[in-house]
Amino acid sequence: MISLHLIFKSMLRRKVVTSLLLVQLALTLALLSNSSLLALQTWDQLRQPTNLDLDNIMYVSLKPTSKNLQEYPAFADLLERQLAAVRQMPGVAAVSFTNQSPLMEGGSNGNVNDENNREHNTQNVPQYTVSPDFLQVLQLDVLEGEIPQTIQAWDGEATVPVVLTKSLAERVFPGKSAIGQLTNGGPVAAVIEDFYGQRSAERVMYNRIQIAQIYGVAWGYGIILRVEPGKADQIRSQLPDVLKTVDPNIEIFSVRTMDEQLHRMFRNEFGLATLLAVLSGLMLLVSMISSYSNAHFNALKRQQEIGIKRALGANKQGILLEMLTENWCATIAGAGLGLLGAVALNQALALVISIPALPVWLPLAAVLMLMLCVTLATWYPARIATQVSPATATKTL
Amino acid sequence: MEQFLYYLKVSLKSIRRAPLPYSLTILILSLGLGVFFANATFYYRLNLDPLPHKSDKLFFPFMNLVPYECQNCEPPKVLSYSNVQKLSATDIPSAKAAMYSADGYLRLTPQQPPMPVKIRLTQPDFFRMFEVPFLHGAVWPDGNARAEVILSRQTAEKLFGETNVVGRRLTLDDFEYTVSAVLADWTMLPRLFDANNNNHLSEVEDIYLPLETGYDRNYLSNTQSSSFQDADYRKLATDGRTKAIHQLQFWVQLDTPEQQQAYRQFMANLTADEKKAGRHPSTVNNKLVGMRDIVVYFNKDGGDIKAFALVTLLFLMVCLFNASHLSLNRYLSNQYEISLRRALGASRWQIQQQALADVLLMASITSVAALLIGYSGISLMNELLPANRLFSSWDWTLLLSLLALTLGCSYLVTLYPSLRASFGALNQQLKE
Repeated sequence: MISLHLIFKSMLRRKVVTSLLLVQLALTLALLSNSSLLALQTWDQLRQPTNLDLDNIMYVSLKPTSKNLQEYPAFADLLERQLAAVRQMPGVAAVSFTNQSPLMEGGSNGNVNDENNREHNTQNVPQYTVSPDFLQVLQLDVLEGEIPQTIQAWDGEATVPVVLTKSLAERVFPGKSAIGQLTNGGPVAAVIEDFYGQRSAERVMYNRIQIAQIYGVAWGYGIILRVEPGKADQIRSQLPDVLKTVDPNIEIFSVRTMDEQLHRMFRNEFGLATLLAVLSGLMLLVSMISSYSNAHFNALKRQQEIGIKRALGANKQGILLEMLTENWCATIAGAGLGLLGAVALNQALALVISIPALPVWLPLAAVLMLMLCVTLATWYPARIATQVSPATATKTL
Repeated sequence: MEQFLYYLKVSLKSIRRAPLPYSLTILILSLGLGVFFANATFYYRLNLDPLPHKSDKLFFPFMNLVPYECQNCEPPKVLSYSNVQKLSATDIPSAKAAMYSADGYLRLTPQQPPMPVKIRLTQPDFFRMFEVPFLHGAVWPDGNARAEVILSRQTAEKLFGETNVVGRRLTLDDFEYTVSAVLADWTMLPRLFDANNNNHLSEVEDIYLPLETGYDRNYLSNTQSSSFQDADYRKLATDGRTKAIHQLQFWVQLDTPEQQQAYRQFMANLTADEKKAGRHPSTVNNKLVGMRDIVVYFNKDGGDIKAFALVTLLFLMVCLFNASHLSLNRYLSNQYEISLRRALGASRWQIQQQALADVLLMASITSVAALLIGYSGISLMNELLPANRLFSSWDWTLLLSLLALTLGCSYLVTLYPSLRASFGALNQQLKE
């Protein structure tokens, strides 16, 4: 039978060592809980629905290097030739031009409101100017209305019809059909399925699309294409040459799949979560070393005591259990402090980064993890303690 | 010296007798300090003042001078051309410069392949205000439009193969320009004159063009461009100068508190006049933000690095506690030997000297290991948070501070155990 009273007494006898152990176990638990929370948050962000075929949609970001090519009509001609060349590539299912990619932090955006009722004015809505095949590339269904089939020019006279994603249409025109309604950007021609636009938007699924010429290319433009499954790598390697063959006076900034675009968007969170995971791993290592050293030193110091116990009939399992229990008690006491530390650290982190509140189960899972590591680290020195011969007791008499 | 060498020899002997606890102490201390070093490097660099003697005199004025009504709104983060004209119409500042950045393609001749460049479009006072050194030539004599560019040293070398190229011609985005000056080596990190959208983390530009020429040639900002009325942002030469197309940063140099107060009053009078004329429908919200506060103002103050700084500090504390714990165990194991020395006449001061030799030895090994771990940590952070890549270098101040910290931590870790070993009851210790 293990006497908890004696174990606590033994821990109190070594006040400084025990306190140091408790503090570090508490800090480890606090950090482990919060870094796991950040890692889970990043994982959730990466797994949230985008309604896009992440592996088979690619985006080429590029810009003409000559001022002449950046202006209409030369730019319209360049676009037409580029789209035709990409369309002919084997494995390309659909292609469109666009002023910007989906799945971005921010970009070209603006207000969208009902011209007759500005109550539901929505800010920072991504605004896309694309060719009609854009929806085929993204494989989005038209829910209401019809997609305009001609690319309109910005001549300053005619209004250009707009296409809204479902959630934006419901937000700006609640309780009624958006088709034919007038927004600040033009009349609504169609409502389509939601897709992930920009992270900085009020809602990531709010998007406004116009089938129109790209307004200006000072920031570059994009060619977006859907490829047949399994062809992404092959097409990615061919795209720069194909586009340069059409006209060498372009700079290609990047060729990315939507999956890469998504990871890039959460790169900072991913980076921080990875760093914290590495740090948590190191903290667990440090805790294991600490528990090992504590148990090892304790076993050495208590050789005589253990010998007497053995001489008085204590078996090896009893000694092993006693050593392990002592470390478990220290871990539980440290974890108790650590729970408070975890909440405090969570609040401190919330001041500088976006981090949710700690769910109850997470620190508890961290306690179990810590217990496992401590048990592993204590096992070997505890086993050595069981090897103490009862004869050791006689040496002390 | 001889005595010190003896102490070192004793320390080495003690390590050889029980190498595992010593190695674990070094490992844990190095881990804590190495991780801390890595993050401290970024933290120190990111918070460095690039113009410490002047940054308290440089200010960015913000106003809510926009053609729409907005109650209690924050002013736009970029200004329109006409707003800058109004804010410039005073002699109170010692220097003033509007600016923005854009992208372009540079060639020596139209036939050459283009070289992508970052352009800063600005006014002559920019160079004086931010103390930009010139290698050849001089800044433009006034703020008028002119087909003249100023090149960074690297750009001149890359394009011409030499730096003394004042008067030479080049082609930028299909237009011909003359080189009026070449800068000496210059960098400003963090680049506080352009903190919007985390731009302060970037390098300075390759080429400088007069602001008026930028507007004439329709260069749009590559950072932030917002239009608050029906305007064509492709027509900067016209709409850009008269309508609410906002894309400019504007800095003023106000050397004394009196100048600063006078400029605040000037801004208040300006907004009052604009309100009276019906051109300021929004709530007045004038701000004069100092250079030292600009990163916080733009709300991009490196939250990731701050968060990581917090946890690395905690990690260092855990490692210090742990190393103290290990060190205490080690000293307690050696207690008999220490007590024997005390019994044979060694004074407590001599025991402390022995401990100091231990500290020096530990600090030397830990410094090397911590620097190696710190370097690996920096490489990992550069990989995972590449936006901060330019802020990852060490200088002597940083290195010496880090070494002093290692020494301090090593002493701290050894202090309590050595005191306990030196001051315990001798009889009791010898019996144990």
